[in-house]
Amino acid sequence: MLVEWMMNGHAILYTGVTLAFWATILIVGICYTIFDLGFRFDVAWFLTETSPFMWANLGIGLAISLSVVGAAWGIYVTGSSIIGGGVKAPRIKTKNLVSIIFCEAVAIYGIIMAIVISNLAENFTGTTPETIGEKNYQAGYSMFGAGLTVGFSNLFCGICVGIVGSGAALADAQNASLFVKILIVEIFGSAIGLFGVIVAILQASRLGDIAKKNFNDIMFHIVRYR
Amino acid sequence: MAALRTVSGNTGMISLFLLCVIAAAKSDEQVPLVAWASDGFALSPVNAPSAGHTVSVEELESHLNTALRTAPLSVDDFTLYGGVFGNKQDSVFQNLEAALLSSSSLWLPSVSSSATALVSTLLQNQIDAAPLYMNPDTLAQLRLNASVAALLVFRLPYSGGADMMSTKEVLSGNDEVIGQVLSIMKAQSVPYTAVFTALWPSRVIEEASPAVHSVWSRSLLQSRREEPTATNPPLEFKEKGSTCILLWAEKLVVSQYRSGKWERHDLAPKTFGEGVEPNLSGSSCNETHSRLVLNYEDVLNYRSFKLIFVMNRRHYKVSARHWFTMDLVHLEYDGKTATFNGSRYIYAPAEYSYRCESVSSSRYPQLSPHSDKDNANDWQISLHDFQIQGFNVAGKDFSYASDCASFFTPGIWMGLVTSLLMVLVLTYGLHMIMQLRTMDRFDDPKGPAISVPQTE
Repeated sequence: MLVEWMMNGHAILYTGVTLAFWATILIVGICYTIFDLGFRFDVAWFLTETSPFMWANLGIGLAISLSVVGAAWGIYVTGSSIIGGGVKAPRIKTKNLVSIIFCEAVAIYGIIMAIVISNLAENFTGTTPETIGEKNYQAGYSMFGAGLTVGFSNLFCGICVGIVGSGAALADAQNASLFVKILIVEIFGSAIGLFGVIVAILQASRLGDIAKKNFNDIMFHIVRYR
Repeated sequence: MAALRTVSGNTGMISLFLLCVIAAAKSDEQVPLVAWASDGFALSPVNAPSAGHTVSVEELESHLNTALRTAPLSVDDFTLYGGVFGNKQDSVFQNLEAALLSSSSLWLPSVSSSATALVSTLLQNQIDAAPLYMNPDTLAQLRLNASVAALLVFRLPYSGGADMMSTKEVLSGNDEVIGQVLSIMKAQSVPYTAVFTALWPSRVIEEASPAVHSVWSRSLLQSRREEPTATNPPLEFKEKGSTCILLWAEKLVVSQYRSGKWERHDLAPKTFGEGVEPNLSGSSCNETHSRLVLNYEDVLNYRSFKLIFVMNRRHYKVSARHWFTMDLVHLEYDGKTATFNGSRYIYAPAEYSYRCESVSSSRYPQLSPHSDKDNANDWQISLHDFQIQGFNVAGKDFSYASDCASFFTPGIWMGLVTSLLMVLVLTYGLHMIMQLRTMDRFDDPKGPAISVPQTE
């Protein structure tokens, strides 16, 4: 079985790349140790010299992109099932769009958080750690953390809702009474995405009360116009 | 020269002579010189100098008829502003070009600036006339007599700080004045010969020092190594007979901001070199604290001047080794002190020396003023090819030099991190797409085709 797995072209490529990567790291590490240059490996230098803007923007990017990946994955799984099941049982088409909407909500959480986090990003003056100040470093790392939090939560939430929705569509095609029960499972799945949003808001809100105000405004907007 | 006298005798040439204001130039700088004559007059034919040849005083004398001088001028100015790249309309030398095209001309791209300084004297001798200093307004009022040779000098306007007017505007203004003068001369139908040059160049191209590998120009290796300059040994401070602090720098430049500009002074010649013994009194070193005091006299008009490097050696728990930092750099001048912090960037393990190509308080600053109100805000320090060791000195050589340049700069690291993230995303996405397969579970090539009812 291992041989079969190895024969897969992808596996060869991935193992090759991983081996090269770790070999480089190992050899560089050994050389640094031999020549007593270990002091050059300085994580603190990396964290203080890299710009907080990089971290903030990575957070914003990851927030939206990972959420969209989750939503897309979910929609693709559910959508294929609905369309496939709808061939023989056309009545399932309309009802099961609710599953698609649950997946879409995950993407909406992502974009809301990306906008909220990006609104918190401001210019700062300063080139040295002292002049940049702890607040700006904290802001950069908070935004990165918030983006990562909401991104990964929504990614797995979207996948979860998608697979459950796919099961719901196929079960509904067999037996119409099953749909409502499975919908409850889907709601639980959707809640975990919301957890991610809440925690991300908490992380970002340390950067000012502005975050809460924006979030409320936007949520109000969404609820009203849905 | 004989030809010149004949010419002046015959046609009663009137010379125009423009001179610019200000100072003496270093004798090894070059300025360009261009000369032309009005209609009906030809410059005596002369061999153009070969490229790269600098015309000396004697050669200039032999080349010369009259001279027009102006604000500092360089060959590069003609190239930059003369519209030579096809953009004729941008040329600031419109009048000059018109004059040169309409008559014979002489172009000497590289004349020794000491020669141009003597042009007026040379012309005086040749024409036997005292120079008249004029500007275009007074020229319009003057009645020129075509039968008598005269020497007219025009100082072309040049504003005193180069930052007030750009070179292009200055040259454009000069060209206008030239145009006015030439048109007046033409209106009065006076034959003339004109010379346009400068006392010193507007930009100096530094000669590559033969000992240094020049990256800007190529030359034969042999020509570079004419006199190999030996590097000076590092400065040593000995306490109780054994060397305790080592210092080396190629340049130790201190600058103070006084009355609107920076005044610089390089302390390296007084610190390093054969037979140079700088005064190190006040220096001390022990296990944890090193202090190197360099005492100078008469620097930037200060009677006593001190440059002090303060280094400390401490044990740091997290890395479990001793590091030394250059905490402060003091400048003491006549009792006042300017202090710079340096501990953020200038550090190395205590066993090694610290070396940096450029330690300065201005460009990519490694030294910053101790506080907002410190005197250091009026000073700039710039140390080139700087190496220092305050602890663990064995003998007169430096230990391993921990360089300030890291393998990757922070920018490179940021790029690598972001690129790595994107490559991971791309890999994951590619993997997903490549393993999509159409479902073939219910394929039954022998069975009937699926029928999709048209109506529900």
